[in-house]
Amino acid sequence: MLISDLFRLSFHNLLLHKIRSLLTSLGIIFGVGSVIAMLAISEGAKKQALDQIAEMGIDKIIVFTQKPSLVGESQNTTQSALLTYGLTEQNENHLREFDNISDITTLRHARKVITRGTTRLDLKLVSTTLNFLDETKCQLVEGRWLSPIDMANKSLVCVVGRNVKRKLFRLGKGSLIGQKIPIQGAVFEIVGIIENNIGTQFPDLNSPNDMILIPTTTSNAIFSYCGIDYSGGGRFGDLFHVEYDIMLVKVTDVAYIEHTAERINSYLLKNHKKSKDWGIKVPLELLQQQEHTQNIFTIVMGSIASISLIVGGIGIMNIMLANVYERRKEIGTRRALGAKKNDILRQFLIETIFLTAQGGMIGIVLGISLSKIVTYYAQWPVVFSPWSIILSIMISGIVGVVFGTYPAWKAAQQNPIDALRTE
Amino acid sequence: MSNSKIKKQMQTSNEIVRFENIEKTYYLGKLEVPVLKGIDLVFKKGEFIGIMGASGSGKSTLLNVLGLLDVPTAGKYFLLNQEVENFSDNHMAELRNSSIGFIFQSFNLFPHLTVEQNIEVPMVYSEIPKKKRRKRARELADRVGLGHRLTHRPTELSGGECQRIAIARALSNNPSFLLADEPTGNLDEKTSHEILDILHDLHQNKETTIVMITHDPEVECIFDRIFHLRDGIIDKRTEAGGEKC
Ligand SMILES: Nc1ncnc2c1ncn2[C@@H]1O[C@H](COP(=O)(O)OP(=O)(O)OP(=O)(O)O)[C@@H](O)[C@H]1O
Ligand SMILES: [Mg+2]
Repeated sequence: MLISDLFRLSFHNLLLHKIRSLLTSLGIIFGVGSVIAMLAISEGAKKQALDQIAEMGIDKIIVFTQKPSLVGESQNTTQSALLTYGLTEQNENHLREFDNISDITTLRHARKVITRGTTRLDLKLVSTTLNFLDETKCQLVEGRWLSPIDMANKSLVCVVGRNVKRKLFRLGKGSLIGQKIPIQGAVFEIVGIIENNIGTQFPDLNSPNDMILIPTTTSNAIFSYCGIDYSGGGRFGDLFHVEYDIMLVKVTDVAYIEHTAERINSYLLKNHKKSKDWGIKVPLELLQQQEHTQNIFTIVMGSIASISLIVGGIGIMNIMLANVYERRKEIGTRRALGAKKNDILRQFLIETIFLTAQGGMIGIVLGISLSKIVTYYAQWPVVFSPWSIILSIMISGIVGVVFGTYPAWKAAQQNPIDALRTE
Repeated sequence: MSNSKIKKQMQTSNEIVRFENIEKTYYLGKLEVPVLKGIDLVFKKGEFIGIMGASGSGKSTLLNVLGLLDVPTAGKYFLLNQEVENFSDNHMAELRNSSIGFIFQSFNLFPHLTVEQNIEVPMVYSEIPKKKRRKRARELADRVGLGHRLTHRPTELSGGECQRIAIARALSNNPSFLLADEPTGNLDEKTSHEILDILHDLHQNKETTIVMITHDPEVECIFDRIFHLRDGIIDKRTEAGGEKC
């Protein structure tokens, strides 16, 4: 039998029972659909997570202050001891001596309570250096960034994150630029608004979008390193002394990053013998870890979806077996007219493969639409990798072969006489 | 007699089929059902053979063995001077396709194919290109008087018309012999005659050997020879031109 005739025959048989063919391949349709959608969603999640880390800069090491748990809690006593912990100016100066470090951005949380009326807000007053804007990939939305003149003059100015307007001021029309924020006696004039769109989160300080940023010099002039931290929730707060909360250490070359992180680590271990009041994060390592976790996630999602493909395949096998039984007379007649066992086998096998391939194609469309819907309503990013589509087509073909072989073999084994005898 | 001598004799005698003590026994579990109990016969080229006998006497079984749909349990079957016993399944399929034409009582047309597509089926299995197939199918449809129904489906045709299509299909690969199992069994008298006329016409060119099972004593006259089966053996052989004709 010519291949073209074989294909025409199988195709013809599929079209004979359009609804039945569609229903039969439903399992495959949903199987492939869910494989495509799951892979698209998990690839999307992966990309988002990785982008976030990568955007932070894989050429950076984040060194941060951790409140040591041993000296930490206020334990409901009325008397508060002075807690001195965290990264220091001395640390900064030492680190600047390292060969591979090109720049350090420092952040210091002033730990001032910021309220609107009587409501405490989760805004953070943070003093920082001028390179903050570039190093955290923030954009200026309005006004200007802190200037060297502000630094030199210790000006009472601030640049606020984009959420500050909504949280601190009523949602009015007018511009925030020029507005004043009074914080514990000092009044800061807003000179600019920034936003961070890559989801940067600092340890303990959260997003730049919720920060009120002031020059380090201003902070040093009006607030001392000491202060009272009410964030613990105690009535009296904790008396603390913290010099820096975060140091964003930029290396000259990504190749040195692990080595440099090692060195910083051992330096800090030596320098902070008293307690582990610091932490270190390397985005590159996080990136690699995340990539690994996400890959596992993708594999798990894919496997779960594949189970529905197998179920779909079994469904098809079932229907094809019934189909073979139903068409015994056709098989017998074909055999009498000269069809070889192999002709019958191929006819039924190709019918099954057509069935699954058709299901696969509809499934791909379904999967893509499904993920589009997810993106639209849930705002999850989805990524279609061409290999997920190739994989689906391959899998549905394989499902066709795997689950079509047995019914096709059954068909070929039909005794032509028994098959002809049936009415 | 040596093998080559037998062959020579077969060729000169235009032998199509030779049965030597053919037996067919079905096994239903431990139960043996002997159906053919030693059949000897020879069909020659161009003969029109009738097979008659009571229901259950083994006529269809005989025809299935003749048509390579079934293999005998004992005895020798020579088809076109070749012993069938050693044929592979594929070879038998090829022979069914090229040398044997089947006509069934219930037509066995493919309901979803058109008339011309139905006629084409055996040619599909012999890998004849589509154009050539179509041309031949039309010729054959014309020959059985249905050239005007090419694109109809079997469900739109009468029983007699269906059987004519089935005959056209059986003839599509120019078989050496044609096997018909009660081809008029489902038809009324008038249509039966039409079918028999077609077979009779076919017989006139003396090219095709036709073997036909029938229950109808009326039609005896169209056969060259008739084999009467009873309980799996040939009970009686009648030559043509008996007293009735
Ligand atoms: N596959 C089989 N297994 C067991 N017995 C069978 C089988 N096929 C046929 N037989 C038996 O063989 C006998 C002959 O059957 P066959 O079909 O050849 O009869 P027939 O002469 O064609 O009868 P009819 O005129 O009714 O068609 C019957 O008794 C039948 O039961
Ligand atoms: Mg019969």
